[in-house]
Amino acid sequence: MPAWSGELVVFGFASALALVFALLMVVVKTPVRSVLSLIATFFGLSVLAILLAAPFIAALQIFVYAGAILVLFLFVIMLLNLREEAAEKDDRPVQRTLGLLVALALGGLLAGATLRAPVPPRGVPTRASIPVPDEIPALGRLLFSDYLFAFEVLSLILLVAAVGALLLSKRRFE
Amino acid sequence: MNPTLAVGLEGAAKIAFVWAVVLGAVLPNLIWLERRMAGLIQDRPGPNRVGPFGLFQAVADILKLFMKEDVVPMYVDRLLYGIAPLILLVPSMTTFAVIPFGSTIHLFGRDYSLVVADVNIGILYVFALSSIGVYGLVLAGWASNNKFALLGGLRSSAQVISYELAMGIAAVAVFLPAGSLRLTKVVEYQASGTFLGFLPLWNCFPQIVGCVIFVVSAFAETNRVPFDLPEAEAELVAGYHTEFSAFRFGMFFMAEYLNLIAASAMMATLYFGGWSLPGLHLTGLVGSVVSIAVFAAKTGAFIFLFIWVRWTLPRFRFDQLMSLGWKVFLPLSLLNLVFTGALVLWGVI
Repeated sequence: MPAWSGELVVFGFASALALVFALLMVVVKTPVRSVLSLIATFFGLSVLAILLAAPFIAALQIFVYAGAILVLFLFVIMLLNLREEAAEKDDRPVQRTLGLLVALALGGLLAGATLRAPVPPRGVPTRASIPVPDEIPALGRLLFSDYLFAFEVLSLILLVAAVGALLLSKRRFE
Repeated sequence: MNPTLAVGLEGAAKIAFVWAVVLGAVLPNLIWLERRMAGLIQDRPGPNRVGPFGLFQAVADILKLFMKEDVVPMYVDRLLYGIAPLILLVPSMTTFAVIPFGSTIHLFGRDYSLVVADVNIGILYVFALSSIGVYGLVLAGWASNNKFALLGGLRSSAQVISYELAMGIAAVAVFLPAGSLRLTKVVEYQASGTFLGFLPLWNCFPQIVGCVIFVVSAFAETNRVPFDLPEAEAELVAGYHTEFSAFRFGMFFMAEYLNLIAASAMMATLYFGGWSLPGLHLTGLVGSVVSIAVFAAKTGAFIFLFIWVRWTLPRFRFDQLMSLGWKVFLPLSLLNLVFTGALVLWGVI
């Protein structure tokens, strides 16, 4: 593989997009802009999924996360009319230290895992050079055979969450 | 020629063709058609002064939007106010990429398929883009710092999410018989046989319920009357675009019409056989041109339907809109899915 290719440029651009906006999401003070930064991050991630020859995952990333879930986030923020994040009253020293420790531990774990992962031998293309004809039927077959139980349990959990939310809001109105 | 370069040139040529037709020919004439149709339905002439039959009215309209002063209110969120029209406009311009607008064309010793990008996620791409477009409306409402605009933005997001569900499930049933999410495969399947021996195998016949749900939901998705609640002028001034003027307003205007064209093209593709016509099997260059013409005619018919409905029906109330989406269309679309699954299982379609 040549050192300089179109794929590399796109990869660099998409990862930079994802990283910068992930950082912005945490730093920015206005909740609406935080949500928007998260959407931009999802765009970066979905471009990375396309580079890995998984357009289905990329489309779901946009359709489900950016298109449905984050719209609800935005909806709630607008209904509550949150313009500016409330300033912290106390600086919570315990939580800050704990948060830093957990972040460092997770970062170390990820870095270690990346370093120990086997390096693909040179000359082997990093993505499937043969275009996948249709990954969707394969995915569907897996979901409804090997992972059927996990799939059904997950949908049951989602159903329970929805019913629970409905019950809570109903009780408050009565 | 270098194969990468050839692919790039082919893509660029197709994009240029699609945008030239949509932005250069269909969009201006659509503005003219809408205003003339409104006149016809309301028993008045409509715009008939600029050019023959008023055909250049759209040019005058667009020029006017360019020339007007761009008024930005004082307390808006400047960044979001600036990008909101773009967030709406860009997805509506890119939806056309996956819609097959003709069969194949044989030029310079090679066959080219008449679709910009034949991706295997097909309709998911369209849905993903249309769900991004919602942000344009919501942010326009929020950034304007105006109660009416905010209400309009909130309404639009609630409406679009609700109807996307029913629309999505109706569309899933389309892919069951075709066996692929590719829109080219969906059209090929519909061109491949007959339904019950005498009807074309268009999805609108076995899935009449899904077709109606998809068409009605498309009205809600494109914010057209009778579902134009986000900009209901009697209650909300002009909804999310109340504070926008000049060409910023023009971008909203353009995006709405582009969405209308895209929705019409999707209906023609998913339910009415796309570029195919039963009994018509022309080959060569003539066949390619005729297939494009057939597709254009079907899309045009739906555009006509959109305009006709707009000037005929009154607006729904917001609670009526929501209960129609959740209590009627969602269960019906699920039933349609089960029914279509049964038809496929028993080999009827």
